[in-house]
Amino acid sequence: MSDGIQRETTVVAKTVTRIVVPLILVTAIALLLQGHNLPGGGFIAGVLTATAFALTYIIYGLDYIQTELLDRGVDVPDGVPTALARESGTVFGIGLAIAAGGGIAAMVLGYPFLTQAVAFLEHLPVYHELEVASAFVFDLGVYFVVVGGLLTILSVVGAE
Amino acid sequence: MSLSHVVIAPMLVALVTAIVTLLTRSRPTLQGGLSLLGVVGYAVAVAVLVGDVLSETVLTYQLSNWAAPFGITLVADALSAFMLVLAAVVSLAALAFSVIYVNSYGQRVSYHPLFHFMLVGVTGSFLTGDIFNLFVWFEVMLMPSYVFVVFYSGKAHTSAALKYTVLNLIGSAVMLVAIGGLYSTTGTLNMADMTRRLLAAEEYGIDPAPVLGLAALLFAVFALKAGIVPFQFWVPEAYSAAPAPITAVLAGVTKKVGVYAIIRLYFTVFAAATLPEGLGLPGLSGTSFLAFFGPVMFLMALGSIFLGGFGAVSRPDLDGVFAYSSIGQVGFIVLPLAVGATVPAVRSLAIVAALVYSLNHAIAKSLLFLVSGTVDDAVGAITFDDIGGLTGEMPVLSAGFFVGSLALIGIPPLTGFFGKLLVFQVASDATIAGGNGATLALAAALAGAILTIAYLSRAWKEGFWGETTGAVEGATATPGLVAVVVGLATLLVVVGVGFDPVYQVANAAADAALARTDYVRAVGLEVSS
Repeated sequence: MSDGIQRETTVVAKTVTRIVVPLILVTAIALLLQGHNLPGGGFIAGVLTATAFALTYIIYGLDYIQTELLDRGVDVPDGVPTALARESGTVFGIGLAIAAGGGIAAMVLGYPFLTQAVAFLEHLPVYHELEVASAFVFDLGVYFVVVGGLLTILSVVGAE
Repeated sequence: MSLSHVVIAPMLVALVTAIVTLLTRSRPTLQGGLSLLGVVGYAVAVAVLVGDVLSETVLTYQLSNWAAPFGITLVADALSAFMLVLAAVVSLAALAFSVIYVNSYGQRVSYHPLFHFMLVGVTGSFLTGDIFNLFVWFEVMLMPSYVFVVFYSGKAHTSAALKYTVLNLIGSAVMLVAIGGLYSTTGTLNMADMTRRLLAAEEYGIDPAPVLGLAALLFAVFALKAGIVPFQFWVPEAYSAAPAPITAVLAGVTKKVGVYAIIRLYFTVFAAATLPEGLGLPGLSGTSFLAFFGPVMFLMALGSIFLGGFGAVSRPDLDGVFAYSSIGQVGFIVLPLAVGATVPAVRSLAIVAALVYSLNHAIAKSLLFLVSGTVDDAVGAITFDDIGGLTGEMPVLSAGFFVGSLALIGIPPLTGFFGKLLVFQVASDATIAGGNGATLALAAALAGAILTIAYLSRAWKEGFWGETTGAVEGATATPGLVAVVVGLATLLVVVGVGFDPVYQVANAAADAALARTDYVRAVGLEVSS
């Protein structure tokens, strides 16, 4: 996209993207937070987040993501993985580490691998009662794995 | 039930190594070191697990602390332990080989994480006590293998990978359908629970006939993974396309997961069921499920031995010979199982034979694929037209090939001798016990053994003896690669000379596979008698 024919995207598309992307991200986070006992979870939240990136990518282009979001230079397409691909791979790995680490933490506490627990914080201002579930850690791991995985696919396939 | 993390340790070591190597991609030296350290840690974890299993028989582990049959159970008995040892030995050799063999760019492209993810899948398959979880581990194991088949990204590799992937995806879909069907007919996914229910089918209201059909469908999937005729066609291309150390793992370990699944599910779980009366199929006598699978396995084994044998005789390169040989050798593994399924008197011995043969094939065949990789690395070719006279230029490597071939043929005192011996013993004992077709099994094993001699001596004559070709002239094998080959060759001799402990473990594994009620009780379920 960085060379050859470059078509400008319309102002309408750019404006809609600017409005929609934050909405997608907020929905994604909401789904991630409620995932362990309501519809939602790390997977679907990750997919939504990846669509937000995909939309930015399609409308503004890879160079925009690399320079504005990742603060990297523009890559010359020479077969080497782009900065986006490398970063996504790391996100993927971190996600796996979080999910597996959450499972191993249970072992440290003397329970089988992946054992989950839940605690209720009561008498909080505004919230009154807040449910803290350890399953969220696993969900968070899944979230990063999905975001990292999908963005890797997006950047590698997109670069071809 | 005391909590012992030993059961899950091998899987976790592989998983953590996979994650750590993924995160250290930008530092290749560190990544390679951690990867090696991880596989050594894996071997240690397996050794500890084996020690515990042999002193305490069956160990179980309830993932997430959910009790069986609702949660996922991991079960480590002697059978799982035997297969894990096999996996640890081959992966250790293959990874040590990879660090030298695969170029630095290749290693940076996620080679190490994928290798360890494959190991996670293999370990999970050997340990799981849940049939759906088995499906998941199969997928975990297969996904990295898809990438490895297409690793070199050439035209041939892409074509092989496409076929391999599509075929295995179809296999997975069929597997999922069969497992779903089993769930709806038996009402459970836990293997121990399924065994218990099948033992008292009427009490649980299970009709055994659909269970038999679904088990047969599932059998086709395992046969596909194990590369047994008529599901062998993906083997040669995929084995030629993958990097040599990965082919060693595919032939040595991944195939054995199919064999393991057949032993575990058909001899432990489904053998618990009985049909109300014979189904009246030709050649089917008796009411045991195994009486149905016996003849089926027998035909598949015969097909594999001959197709693999004749195929290997005419291949133009080393990898082709070894790939077809793999098909034939899996036939030798399934043959005693078929005889054991048909003749209950030799069933235990049959499983011992299949396990010992698997062990020998895993070590010997991965050795041979690593030899092929070393030759490719040094000469740049593995076709018999281009290589010749390797004994002159690479005597040590040739000696490694020689030992591996002899082990595959079955010459004492190598491990292969005992594998062949046990296969013949199963067939002859079954003949004495008056088993149908046991004489035929004996004849087939004999003919297959002769074919093995034929194709391996051809490979020796064409590749290692004869005129030194221009490509081979002056080529030297990388010492590190030769060292791995020599290590495996030494192991073949050591295991053969000190065979007794191996036999004891294989015996314990066979007993564990047939000790149905012990298996169910170990998982914490009651058996109604």
